[in-house]
Amino acid sequence: MGVEFRRRDYGAEERACSLPRRRADTHPLSAHSPSALRVKESGCRNDDFVDPLRATDGIMEESSNNILHEDISSEATAPSDISAQLRVRKDWSSFKRILMQRFPVSKTTPVSLVSAVLVKGTKGELDDSKNFDEEDVKVVSQQECLSKLQELKDEINQSWLRDDRVTSLRLSIKVARLLMDASVIQFYPTLFVLATDIMDMLGDLVWARIKQKAEITEEGGFICSLPDNFKAGDVCFDAKETCNNWLSKVGSVRELLPRIYLELAILPCWRFLHNHPENNLQRLVMMVRGIADPLASAYCRLYLVQCAQRLPQYDTGFLITCTNDLKLLLMRLTQGRGTMDGNLSGNSKLVLTLIEPTIEYIMRCLLKDRKQMEISSILVALGMGRDPSTLFKNCSCISIFLHYILKELPIGYTCFNAMEILHLIECTDDSSFDQCLNFKLLGHRLCERVPELSSVHLLVDKISQVLSCYDKLDAYLMVADAYLDIILENQLGTCLNVILGGIFDRQMEEKIGENELMILQSILLKLVAHFANIEDILALNHFLDILDMLHGSSRNSVNMQLLSMATRQGHIQDPTVIEVLLEVAQALYDGLDFSNMRKDDYQHPARVISRFVYMVEYGTEVELHLRFLAQCRGAFVCISELQVSRPLSVQEMLVHSSNKLAVRALRHGNNSVSFVKSCLAFNEVTVPAIPSVIRQFKLYLETAEVAILGGFISHVDELIDAAINCLQSVDSVDGVQTTEDVEGIISLICKLCGILVMVPGSLDQGGACIPKRVLSFLDSQPWVLPRMKIKVLCMVVFLSAALSQNQFLYHAISGKVIGNYQLFYGVRSYHQELLSFSGGILQDIVNIVMQEPSMAVRGKMALEACNCVASSFKMSDETLEACSKLVEIAKSCSPAGDKFLQSTLKFLDAHQILL
Amino acid sequence: MSIEIKLSRFNRTYRPDEPLEGKIITKLNSAISHQFIRLTVNGAVNLQVRGGSAGVIESLYGVIKPIPIVKKAVDIRSSGKIGSGTTEIPFSVILKDPKEENLEKFYETFHGGNVSIQYLITVDVVRGYLHKPLSTTMEFIVESEKDNLPQKPVSPEMVIFYITQDTQRHTLLSELKSGGFRVTGKVCTQCSLLDPIGGELTVEASAVPIQSIDIHLIRVESILIGEKIATESTLIQTTQIADGDVCHGMTLPIYIILPRLLTCPTIFAGPFSVEFKVSIVITFSSVLSKKHSKADPKATKPWMAMESVPLELVRTI
Repeated sequence: MGVEFRRRDYGAEERACSLPRRRADTHPLSAHSPSALRVKESGCRNDDFVDPLRATDGIMEESSNNILHEDISSEATAPSDISAQLRVRKDWSSFKRILMQRFPVSKTTPVSLVSAVLVKGTKGELDDSKNFDEEDVKVVSQQECLSKLQELKDEINQSWLRDDRVTSLRLSIKVARLLMDASVIQFYPTLFVLATDIMDMLGDLVWARIKQKAEITEEGGFICSLPDNFKAGDVCFDAKETCNNWLSKVGSVRELLPRIYLELAILPCWRFLHNHPENNLQRLVMMVRGIADPLASAYCRLYLVQCAQRLPQYDTGFLITCTNDLKLLLMRLTQGRGTMDGNLSGNSKLVLTLIEPTIEYIMRCLLKDRKQMEISSILVALGMGRDPSTLFKNCSCISIFLHYILKELPIGYTCFNAMEILHLIECTDDSSFDQCLNFKLLGHRLCERVPELSSVHLLVDKISQVLSCYDKLDAYLMVADAYLDIILENQLGTCLNVILGGIFDRQMEEKIGENELMILQSILLKLVAHFANIEDILALNHFLDILDMLHGSSRNSVNMQLLSMATRQGHIQDPTVIEVLLEVAQALYDGLDFSNMRKDDYQHPARVISRFVYMVEYGTEVELHLRFLAQCRGAFVCISELQVSRPLSVQEMLVHSSNKLAVRALRHGNNSVSFVKSCLAFNEVTVPAIPSVIRQFKLYLETAEVAILGGFISHVDELIDAAINCLQSVDSVDGVQTTEDVEGIISLICKLCGILVMVPGSLDQGGACIPKRVLSFLDSQPWVLPRMKIKVLCMVVFLSAALSQNQFLYHAISGKVIGNYQLFYGVRSYHQELLSFSGGILQDIVNIVMQEPSMAVRGKMALEACNCVASSFKMSDETLEACSKLVEIAKSCSPAGDKFLQSTLKFLDAHQILL
Repeated sequence: MSIEIKLSRFNRTYRPDEPLEGKIITKLNSAISHQFIRLTVNGAVNLQVRGGSAGVIESLYGVIKPIPIVKKAVDIRSSGKIGSGTTEIPFSVILKDPKEENLEKFYETFHGGNVSIQYLITVDVVRGYLHKPLSTTMEFIVESEKDNLPQKPVSPEMVIFYITQDTQRHTLLSELKSGGFRVTGKVCTQCSLLDPIGGELTVEASAVPIQSIDIHLIRVESILIGEKIATESTLIQTTQIADGDVCHGMTLPIYIILPRLLTCPTIFAGPFSVEFKVSIVITFSSVLSKKHSKADPKATKPWMAMESVPLELVRTI
């Protein structure tokens, strides 16, 4: 007795296996009714479990808050002082680092240095100013100067360690004197950083020494341990004497600048003498006025402000004086030496650039952690406040100061006083800083909190006024860009259109540079991000004209955002919008430089274009849609040529879309035959253009399904033939396969088997023609693993078994496709062929399972194969033999309690295959 | 074999009404015997004429006889022995005994050019004829006694000054004369030795750019020699308060810490006096000033303008 397929009664089997079903009242994923929620919540409350993230009861919260507060207040006095000091130091060193990076040392420009500094001098008294005048000035390279300073620093340290503190001081004075020479201005910041480093070091040494004197006597006896917040009264006489000594020594330095630097270095030591060391700050600020050189005095103020922060407390008075002094200095710099037309001469410009960081730092200190009221009074004191008596009539402000003040002002304050500040900016137009940059900064600051803004209309009107005065595109763009968010959020459409019109008019006149391009990009992106739908954007004045002005990567990124925004909102139906977007997509595509891009760079645009193609929707106008698809195919030729691996390529999307169209046409029924045929034809042309063979294979199958649906048998045969051909060329084209691809191929083959159930065979070729081709393909491929082979073989067996039934499990919806059971009813040779083909497989199956090296996998394969055999074939010697061997393998490979094994044994039992 | 004096105070400073205390420390290889240990305190004003306004004849006199202030000797040990190793012998001397008639007022220690006021303490260990006496001397510093001092703060006596091309007695550069300048301010004329000299200064106008503004502290010592007075001024400290052409109309502070070793309270005694002056010196930048930068700082130059005011220094508590 040979093998024979088991007869199946699909209907009965389904009835036997399906669980009883009942209609549910609510959808399992629908939202709970509110009442149910409440019950649940109250249940939670009674629980002992406390959710750490949920607010606890009022009482508990309060008590824990109290504890927290107590902790803070008890610790606030001492340790926060230290941490604040540490923070100040940290800020300072990072500021210095940035300063050095901003003005790097050039290797070429030499500096002249007083050679006294470079020669080790140990002569004379503390104050060797007379010698100073006689020294020769030596020219050295900047690099050399840096290394000399480093040497000096080491030397100061060493003499201190030798208890030769006078030498340390003398050398420090020399270092401080270096700062008097601001002739090589670009080098000054570096010099400043290095010299103040040494000053700081000296200050720390002196501090430590006096503190030690206050705590331990000469003989080593213990006096007291000074707490961090000690008072002058806690300090013993000797320590005070030493402190006075240092102050006198420093005070005897003749030159002003080094004297100030040294006093600043030991400024904290005043704490040993007075309880209010900050009282010296005002005097020091005034002393700095005596330094006429703008650069030297600005940096001296910087050091002053920094040193002030090392004191336990200080008030803002000295900072305001300091700022006002600096302001006067800059006025002198910008007006005095400026040429008639208001432009600074080159040198002044450079000096200003070098001074800029000092202004930034001082403004930061001035406005850090201030309250609203304080800020108002500070601004009044700086001559830029809202003082009703002056009311801006004589606001004396310098734009560079204004810039850094704006930067530091709290946003809340800025928003509240936006109009006043705007006015202030308008009044302040000098050569120290470009006015439009201040407008821009204000705009950016305000945009951070648009909802808090008051009097928006006034503000926007003012800005429009300002904008209308700008002839240059870059200034116009910069300011417009800064205020765009405000305009957008408040839906000031007219204003927006005016601005866009302004941009358009100005761009006609000049060429767009790199900078303008960036701002235009930002403006357009903001617009794209703001509007919810594409029609609104296209309705804007000159939007497309402005978009056309862009080029290069800016254009690409705007195009991309535009496309992804347009496709985010659901289907695109308006033909004009589709047309515009197609152009945009085309431009995006044209803008891609395929030869020079990395894979990641073009994947995103490709995906966006695919998405666009997918989202286009002509509704019932299917023919127009197909024409659109054809248009796309022409437009995006190249994208498919790339190795776009993961995301869908545009071409694939086209095939999907056309399939979708065909299916829809079929559904609507009326007079669709020719249209579906054209869809199929479209696909037959499009698919071969796709580079990946696997994808081709997949799309052929998909199209074949559509063809079956429509009942176009000739197309089906062609498509499946093409698919198999495709499969056979896998090796030759794609080369090395990734596991993912391989798995994909295998599952596609399985899918093919599923489709073949519905496809009418032909008598000439025999029933098993296509499965044979598939199997021969598998045999020819070295990468096919045993477990894959088993999968396909099982599938083929299932297919053969299904085809031999008298009634199929499923069939094509279209009545035009005749099932094989009808076609070959009673044709013995057909059934015989299937049976013998499957019988051959049955004989191989055990061997192939044995080829699998991994035990676990082998066990599973054996069970799979066993199930397949048992369900497909009738009981016979051959089947029994195969099954028993497979079960044996499975038993040897998997644990006894394995569920798959158990259920397989049960299955065998049920089918009366008795092992 | 060594002997030294160690005073009780680290800074060796005493007031006349305070006891001068300390230790005599001997380090001996072997024990010695002595007749007595004598401690001598000696204070005097030494006067000397060196150039200055003194004439040729006066300078021939050279050293003038010193004016004694205090001279007392106390035996702190009668005859006895000092053992080997380190021995410490404490002592305490009253400088100004209210019962005694003093020779002179206890002036504060001062070392000037012509006038020097010095206090010395000497220890002698007398060991008979056969042995050289062991002896050592040390200077200690005397400050005025507290009772007579004014309470701090001294009322700030300020004087207002104007410096213009018209206030200058020496010849000025023509451009200074024609362009004009005006620097005003105030500076204190009486100042505690412990405090800095205070004041302020404003450059109101100047046609020629300023190179520097300095404050000179000048000491004036005078000695009476016969009928004549020999006076010498010394520049004891220069402090720059403006470097370069500063902004006009801005107030610059004058803040000068007094050099402690070079100053003392202003003294007007019969045979000698020590006084102080403050000079505000403005140097204008000109071609000439750069050439002559190494010249004598006290001399007036055509590119400079100056104003001097007397300064009374007082000791306060």
